[in-house]
Amino acid sequence: MRHLNTKSIDLPAPPALPQQCVNVGIGAYHTGTCAMTAIGLGSCIALVLHDTRHAVGACAHIMLPESGGKTDRPGKYADTAIPLLIGELTALGGVKRSFVAKITGGASMFSNFQGKLNIGERNIEAVRAHLEAHGIPVAAEDIGGTVGRTLHYNPANGGNISVKRADGSCREF
Amino acid sequence: MELSAQQMDQLKELGNIGASHAATSLSQMLMSPIDMTVPEVMLIDISDIATHIRDEIAAIVIFEIQGEISPGGYVGLYMPRESAVRLTNTMLGTTDMDREFNEMDESALLEVGNIMISQFLDATATLLDIIMIPSPPDIAIDMAHAVFETILSQVASDINNVILFRTDLRSTVHEIRGAIILMPNCTTLNEILMLLERLMHG
Repeated sequence: MRHLNTKSIDLPAPPALPQQCVNVGIGAYHTGTCAMTAIGLGSCIALVLHDTRHAVGACAHIMLPESGGKTDRPGKYADTAIPLLIGELTALGGVKRSFVAKITGGASMFSNFQGKLNIGERNIEAVRAHLEAHGIPVAAEDIGGTVGRTLHYNPANGGNISVKRADGSCREF
Repeated sequence: MELSAQQMDQLKELGNIGASHAATSLSQMLMSPIDMTVPEVMLIDISDIATHIRDEIAAIVIFEIQGEISPGGYVGLYMPRESAVRLTNTMLGTTDMDREFNEMDESALLEVGNIMISQFLDATATLLDIIMIPSPPDIAIDMAHAVFETILSQVASDINNVILFRTDLRSTVHEIRGAIILMPNCTTLNEILMLLERLMHG
């Protein structure tokens, strides 16, 4: 058996992102005026909090519904990510009543492992419940189903999000 | 979680043995030689997964690790969509590349995955002298990152970095490429490291 160079890995080279576009990785978050993206959302949820008065917003890539008291990665859990994003946007001069939420993701990727891997639905419920508790309206959502999604969000573009689905379709909200 | 260079090497060696068996079974099924890379063992922060696994469409056959260490995490066969179509074309005796992925493809891939991953787990478990068996498989044909983050939500609820263990396999005759990816959960990884340590030092 011939050994290949381990660096010549199989995955295609990542497409070059436009400059000033931040990919929000799993459990991470970003706040500001630059364009943001969350690639390959499966059961995770990308939560966008947009300030309708200013061209500024925040995005978190939420992995699980409940933190169970852990504080090391606030962007990772629905219950900690929502107050975190509200706080971040408020610190940038935003006022809570002009915030709207847009959510995408929460898919169920497996049919056989449903019992264990239906985390998507639990994520959706948790994000909705915590948004409601904080009085943030959900302005748009593309959630659930069985298909992966990639989110693009540009705070400068009126807070529009575009969601590309694994089947190739793309929608704007 | 932190791993020493020695532990990384031990894991690579373990994976090398498992992947060799899986590659041999693929080679027999395709009746062509299979090249494999030296396994990579990476300790990755969950927020950086996207730099290793992007949102290209791939077929992923996934198994839960069962047996003595259960639930043990997940092990999967990853194949970019085009390679997956070529693989099933080879098996089913067709050449049409420009087609939808159908049930026959899924069924063929589940079977290939089952054979390869059983070989992989069997060889590694024999070395460690424990029992590891794959659960019935499941398959997703979707954005690779979307599939992996769903599995990650199971193994990384309490931790922020994961071991990604990966060997690439390719058949140049059939232009098929794939990878075996192992994502043990924390207790399984510790158990494996302990067994490896014992193996090395008697």
